[in-house]
Amino acid sequence: MSSVPSLLLIEDDDAIRTALELSLTRQGHRVATAATGEDGLKLLREQRPDLIVLDVMLPGIDGFEVCRRIRRTDQLPIILLTARSDDIDVVVGLESGADDYVVKPVQGRVLDARIRAVLRRGEREANDAASFGSLVIDRAAMTVTKNGEDLQLTPTELRLLLELSRRPGQALSRQQLLRLVWEHDYLGDSRLVDACVQRLRAKVEDVPSSPTLIRTVRGVGYRLDTPS
Amino acid sequence: MTKAQDERRGWTAARRALMAGLRLTSLRLRLVVVFALVALTAAVLASGIAYWLNREAVLTRAQDAALGDFQQEMQNRAGALPTNPTQAELQHTAGLMAGTGQHFSVLLIAQDEDGNTVVGNSDLDRFTLADVPRPLREAVDRRQPSGEHNSAPYHLYWQRTEEGGTPYLIGGARVIGGGPTGYMLKSLEPEAKDLDSLAWSLGIATALALIGAALLAQAAATTVLKPVHRLGTAARRLGEGKLDTRLRVSGTDELAELSRTFNRTAEALEKRVADMSARDEASRRFVADMSHELRTPLTAITAVTEVLEEELDAETGSVDPMIEPAVRLVVSETRRLNDLVENLMEVTRFDAGTARLVRDDVDIADQITACIDARAWLDAVELDAERGIMARIDPRRLDVILANLIGNALKHGGSPVRVSVHPDTRDGGKDMIIEVQDHGPGIPEDVLPHVFDRFYKASASRPRSEGSGLGLSIALENAHIHGGEITAANSPEGGAVFTLRLPRDSEPAPEDPETGAPADTDDTDRPDATGEAPGEGEEK
Repeated sequence: MSSVPSLLLIEDDDAIRTALELSLTRQGHRVATAATGEDGLKLLREQRPDLIVLDVMLPGIDGFEVCRRIRRTDQLPIILLTARSDDIDVVVGLESGADDYVVKPVQGRVLDARIRAVLRRGEREANDAASFGSLVIDRAAMTVTKNGEDLQLTPTELRLLLELSRRPGQALSRQQLLRLVWEHDYLGDSRLVDACVQRLRAKVEDVPSSPTLIRTVRGVGYRLDTPS
Repeated sequence: MTKAQDERRGWTAARRALMAGLRLTSLRLRLVVVFALVALTAAVLASGIAYWLNREAVLTRAQDAALGDFQQEMQNRAGALPTNPTQAELQHTAGLMAGTGQHFSVLLIAQDEDGNTVVGNSDLDRFTLADVPRPLREAVDRRQPSGEHNSAPYHLYWQRTEEGGTPYLIGGARVIGGGPTGYMLKSLEPEAKDLDSLAWSLGIATALALIGAALLAQAAATTVLKPVHRLGTAARRLGEGKLDTRLRVSGTDELAELSRTFNRTAEALEKRVADMSARDEASRRFVADMSHELRTPLTAITAVTEVLEEELDAETGSVDPMIEPAVRLVVSETRRLNDLVENLMEVTRFDAGTARLVRDDVDIADQITACIDARAWLDAVELDAERGIMARIDPRRLDVILANLIGNALKHGGSPVRVSVHPDTRDGGKDMIIEVQDHGPGIPEDVLPHVFDRFYKASASRPRSEGSGLGLSIALENAHIHGGEITAANSPEGGAVFTLRLPRDSEPAPEDPETGAPADTDDTDRPDATGEAPGEGEEK
């Protein structure tokens, strides 16, 4: 990862695009911009940014669809920029694979903090490997294999799995996970955790609808179990 | 709603139902009574007249027949007697007279040759001279003055008497031209029996008429009361807000007309309400769209003003000192505009009913501490809350409520603001109570009912820069969506107290998240494709 993170901002409104570019550049990011989803996907292939800030309301293909298309091939972090904090938007956005979301009118500082938090998730930590059944987590290489096959996890999914695997058998509340993985303040949206757990289960569990590794602890949160 | 309120409401409903029942039966009762009275009057009148006419006819006939026979016998037999008959002759004649078809007893009185009174009696046990009333005897013995209209000196007289419950006819006559005086006694018992049975029949007929009238009244009452009852039910449904309630109209009577009027009224009302709600909906959508549209430019402005702000704070002197106040004003007003739009969006979400809860299990004391801490109010707020009071609520909405209540208390009441949390002991600990008390002058009584109104300012002179005017209203809506409540009051020690009551588990389904869920425990998470969070039912 380069020392100056490069971002791709996909936003159709000129004023917002210009203002956010200005603000993010001042925060020390390298920012490329696109006005439509199609342009954004093209720029993504050409420039390989570290992170994407994606507006939901786009002409042509909308933000959710862009998000889904990116996720088919790429695991890079995506932050949604939604004009509506209406719940259906947030839920759909998280299901289509976004790592985090920010509601307009967004403050540059908040967006910057979210970007930095997401980027930190990809950072390596010196540690050994741990295995849970057929799942092997290599903390040094930051890779996860299942039955010897490499799993494609986004940095957020990987961080969530790491935080859970660090305390095997111990339930972590959604608020705890929000602080550990997303670095949100006390008002984190617990649906971020739920959506991410959902995606992670789809990748690591044998049968995602009846999980044996990442289990729900009702009234508390989630815990990682070693299957017996 | 509390149990006591429930009980009271139940009571009122029961009493109302009872009153309605009484009212209905009383109309029914009145109809029955009126019908019965009419029937009774008619029946009694008809029976009375019939009885009276019958009685007269029967008695007159029996009487005429008996008296006619008696007169005949008197002429034929008693007239044939010598002027001074012997006792034996009298007795014999009396027996002969009584032997005719009419079955009466005969008493003959005459004077024998010695001047003694002799009595002939057909039936000594039943009929003696003592049985003949004195006025009758006198009338019979009285000699009538003969005149133009009166050819005979003596007349036949009769009288009805009663002895031992049996009616009798007693008649008396004198043989003209000197002869015995004769009396007859005829029992009218057969006629009385006939009349009695007639009376019985009439009585039974009257009773039957009464019963018939009552049944008719019931039927009439039902035909009247059924539409009235239907009308009442329909009116109640209309009152409950079911504006599409209509009555089936049949017939052309007054009740049908009433039903038609009801239908027309309901239709007009429905149309009116539809118009109004459409207009209301349109204006709500306008506010929603407008605040939504404001966001786009505001996002751009906000991002840029932050850059400007950083320029100011950098103290590099890059901003012209003449311009600096202008920039600061733009920055602070942009922030206010942001808050206002944010609050407007929130309000429109509540109005449109699209606000949703994102529940999580949180420690209330931690939440309050974090809320106070995030806004740098730690020095101004005394917190009285033990950790460990867990609740399943939407943390973001709780934060909105707390920030508005505490912020309001700090603004109007002044520090220190005291925040206390305790489980509500009255309701088995299902609810918790958070009290926010300030030490200000309190809220004037006339303002108290309006503190949660939108854009309500306590005094017109208050500077308008204090908040958006939506804060407390939004706090209240946020409490409501949890199934909670906020009340405002003045503390006896001075200062205003806002009391927030929230259910500790605002989940609508009454399932225990720890143990109660049968199919949705640890190992059997719902299939994750529904879009709902795993292991949670957050949507209502």
